[in-house]
Amino acid sequence: MLLKIFLRPPGARSEEEFLSRCLQCGQCAQVCIFDCIKMRVGFNPFMAGTPEINPKEAPCHLCMRCSAICPSDALHDVAIEDVRMGFAELDRKKCYTWREFLLCRSCYERCPIKWRAMELERGEYPVITDQCAGCGLCEHVCPADAIVVTPTRFVRAEKNKLEGDE
Amino acid sequence: MKKPGLKASRRTLQILTLIAFIIIPLLNRSRYSLVYGNFLSFHFFGIPLADPLAVLQLSIKNLYLTLDNVIGVAIPLAIAFWAGTVFCSWVCPYGFFSELVNNLSRRVLLWPRIELIPRGRSFYVKLIIFIGGFAGFFVFSLTPVLNQLSLPAWYARFFQYLFGQDYFSYSIFFLAGLLFLEFVAGRRFWCQFICPQSVLLVLVKQFNPKRLRVDFSRDKCICKAGHERCEKACSLQLQPREAGKARELECCNCGACVVACDRMGKALKFHRGKGGE
Repeated sequence: MLLKIFLRPPGARSEEEFLSRCLQCGQCAQVCIFDCIKMRVGFNPFMAGTPEINPKEAPCHLCMRCSAICPSDALHDVAIEDVRMGFAELDRKKCYTWREFLLCRSCYERCPIKWRAMELERGEYPVITDQCAGCGLCEHVCPADAIVVTPTRFVRAEKNKLEGDE
Repeated sequence: MKKPGLKASRRTLQILTLIAFIIIPLLNRSRYSLVYGNFLSFHFFGIPLADPLAVLQLSIKNLYLTLDNVIGVAIPLAIAFWAGTVFCSWVCPYGFFSELVNNLSRRVLLWPRIELIPRGRSFYVKLIIFIGGFAGFFVFSLTPVLNQLSLPAWYARFFQYLFGQDYFSYSIFFLAGLLFLEFVAGRRFWCQFICPQSVLLVLVKQFNPKRLRVDFSRDKCICKAGHERCEKACSLQLQPREAGKARELECCNCGACVVACDRMGKALKFHRGKGGE
């Protein structure tokens, strides 16, 4: 089965905890002023109506309105620095700046927590640090499609798997 | 000015609710977000409202309650405690459609209505589904699955999808199909046998002996046996002349029988507390 990769809104708890708390009321989608939060569609009773974010279409701007209004605390209020929706990865072979093709700083300019989550090596080359919130803004604006955000729940699942193997 | 009748005010409230849940996603879309949510959880100018069953599932699973949820549940439960399950007959959009379809089917249906379960037992069927859903939620599922049986929430969600993200949800066909089945069967079987959301409201109203209820005074009744106006008016096929017995679990104070009886002997009336003969 093809799993469509999507992010949960900022402040979401771990996937299991999030699903057991989410009321599927869609209030986060209705207060989102950037229209990035969508309600999941379809008849899957475990997923329908839960929020999702597709950074390629509309990225999260970390305004944190959704986690402030969530009535059941499935999205809890956290500081912007502590948000971990996912982790962005930069492919240096595709990035215009790293290829020295042209000087592009789109991702750095748009990063909502710049210099924490994203640094400029030697003042020019973008580097994503482990402080990345995973909002997907850089993925959205990257002209070279060099950045991909992996949702936290997949990263965790892989880590657990590795630990289990050892 | 003439005071609006019981039925007129009820229909007004129902239609206002119907329209409100179409308009709210449109307002949200144009960045007016003081009112938002659907029937599972709702914010009205900062006042939270929530479906008691949805919150019960979450709080038992996680052993955790938020202030929003406590207030949100207290309001509908207080209304149910004070006035019975008026949500079903005065607010719920599915209840409204189901009632209209039932009235229509009674007029045009050629075959007799289906009797699935003996009279007065339907609440226990509902209770079994309720408990089964709860057990399934704890054993198999991560998400509160009984939420998916909330038809008013599906109604509101359809418009959330349509206006919020330009997606046409097929859930509307599911609702239409159910209404068609109810039309053919001539019974409101979802409201009577399945809807788990109403179970908590019914249980809560049982705790209040002074709640609003329909009261029957036998000496005023002038209908001939077999031609009771009230029984024909009741869309849930209850017997209002037996008000005060176990069957009252299903009565949702819609007042159709009271309106019908007003033209006859005025034997049925809304009343607080235990009714006497």
